[in-house]
Amino acid sequence: MKKNLYLLFLFTVIAFLFSACVKDTDFNQTDDIALTTVLELDFIFFNINSQNFTDLGINNTTVSDTTDLDFLDSGIVSENIIRADFYFRNTNSFPVSFLAQYQFLNDNNEIKYEVIVPVQAGNNIDPVITEFTEIIENNALVNFTMATKVVVNTIATSSLNNINGNLDLQSKATYYLRIEE
Amino acid sequence: MKYLLYCVFFFWGFLLFSQNKEVLYGLDETPQALLLNPGARISNLFHIGIPLISHLHFNGGSSGFSTYDIFQKSSVDINTRIKNTISELSDRDFFTTTQQLEILNFGWKNKKEFYFSGGLYQEFDFVFYFPKDLAVLAWEGNANYIGKKFDLGEINTRGDLLMVYHLGATKRWNKKLTIGARAKIYSSLLSFSSTDNSGTFETRISESGNNIYEHLISNINLSLNTSGIASLNDLEGGSATNKILSRAFFSGNLGVGVDLGATYEINEKWTASASFIDLGAIFHTKDVESYAINGEYTLDGIELLFPPIGSGNSAPPYYDDLIDEIEEAFPLESIYDSYTQMRPLKAYASLKYNFGRPAGGDEGCDCLNTGENQKYNQSVGVQFFNMFRPKGPQFAATLFYYRKISDYLTFKTTYTADSYSYNNIGLGLVANIKMLNFYIVANNLQWFSNFAKAKSVSLQMGLNIIINENK
Repeated sequence: MKKNLYLLFLFTVIAFLFSACVKDTDFNQTDDIALTTVLELDFIFFNINSQNFTDLGINNTTVSDTTDLDFLDSGIVSENIIRADFYFRNTNSFPVSFLAQYQFLNDNNEIKYEVIVPVQAGNNIDPVITEFTEIIENNALVNFTMATKVVVNTIATSSLNNINGNLDLQSKATYYLRIEE
Repeated sequence: MKYLLYCVFFFWGFLLFSQNKEVLYGLDETPQALLLNPGARISNLFHIGIPLISHLHFNGGSSGFSTYDIFQKSSVDINTRIKNTISELSDRDFFTTTQQLEILNFGWKNKKEFYFSGGLYQEFDFVFYFPKDLAVLAWEGNANYIGKKFDLGEINTRGDLLMVYHLGATKRWNKKLTIGARAKIYSSLLSFSSTDNSGTFETRISESGNNIYEHLISNINLSLNTSGIASLNDLEGGSATNKILSRAFFSGNLGVGVDLGATYEINEKWTASASFIDLGAIFHTKDVESYAINGEYTLDGIELLFPPIGSGNSAPPYYDDLIDEIEEAFPLESIYDSYTQMRPLKAYASLKYNFGRPAGGDEGCDCLNTGENQKYNQSVGVQFFNMFRPKGPQFAATLFYYRKISDYLTFKTTYTADSYSYNNIGLGLVANIKMLNFYIVANNLQWFSNFAKAKSVSLQMGLNIIINENK
């Protein structure tokens, strides 16, 4: 009789162990999991003087350069970006104002997005800093992520011949990503 | 992506913990106790495990959080809970999985009173330390962490799949002392480890003044050792499995090790024991492929030079040059040198106090046959466990109560504080029915009603045939 009780005890404990459960959890919440990453990255920079302009002609007022930005239309960026902020800081010691034009082009050289930054005139003793922030989101962002390169046109409002000075650009981008399924 | 996360968190939170078998240790009614202390006092004349089911062991979990912490039903957004959990964890938090399947286990006592035991088992052992800085960087980005050095050296993981062949001997040296040793041959089927890494990533306000920031990747020294994996890359699933299994019989990377243990009866009431398990190493000489990346780089964006080129001419390939420069700064080196890897050493120590009804001393007592020298049917005691992991030891301390209820039934219950929690309750039952020996052990039973709240779970069970001296 006692032996039977022990066996009953044994089987009860084993049954107890195998009836453990998991509750008060909701694994469907995985649908809501999203990485919301905010990345700060340097963008482009330059430091140019009047020779950059006059090398192309004494009264030339425009210089241009281009760089690829292949990462913009990559899957991880184009599928997950929800906002991009571009911050430009120009330091100008020319007594001339500029327009800085940033044209984001696709492979067919079609403009997908454009930013125009007015740069105030400065002087050699007290260079003037001009700051500008462009926020890109919603539909504009869809077009923006089709771009694969940026053309930078720096346009002086008058000739720089025989004028001393420098124009610096520092810039950064803040990419807001939301990575989910 | 979310399913990857789901898997990580599910296994992290709910799967199984390290290699501590605090309930089975000292539970000398099972032959498997000899694998935790080859100097255990056992009273068998002979035993043989039922092949493939004599010892099944799943064990693992997370030191930092439970499945419930992430997936509980709550009005708080799951992403907030994940973010909070990441902030609470440290780079010393880890999750581990250990699985063992005993294929063969046998033992016998010879005329000189040596108890020989041997067999083979398969083992999978995995540990992954939480790379907190990388997790913060992935989850939140660097925007709120300008000036912070993210430590890439926190990457620390190791995994092994191996077969273990063993043969041990246990001898009651004198009335008080029982000692034992076990020789082991390891046959590694697969192995990887990345445990010696360093380097930082930092975004800081530019000191050179070139641009707004400088992104510094400094002193990068990352490495990954693998053996038994490179040759599988070109094989289909079935062929790869066959190749892995073919290594089980001494054709993998071999190693040697030893277990040592002793039990000392201080007096009739007090007994002490201790053991070292897996004091050895595996020598990885075949199918070895290791990878190393060293270097440093500072990125401050793309500098435009505005060269005086006419229309129709191409601008310099700034972006491609930048990518090439970064790739050149961090060359991936493949290394085929042999390497030696220490097995994760485990150590147990125990002190117990025996009490209760003397065995055989009372006609009405049901507590006969409690072991070779056990004179009482109950004991309480304390156990310590230590396992040497790549980032240092993992400790566990256990209080236990043991009771032999009858010839047929023994149980042991434990209360353990370890890296996972301070209140882990375990229970083990051993049933001896005729020659059949069955045992089952589980822990974290305080979360029994909802295992999602457990940071770790452990289960061991098995079936043996035993011929006892007292039969």
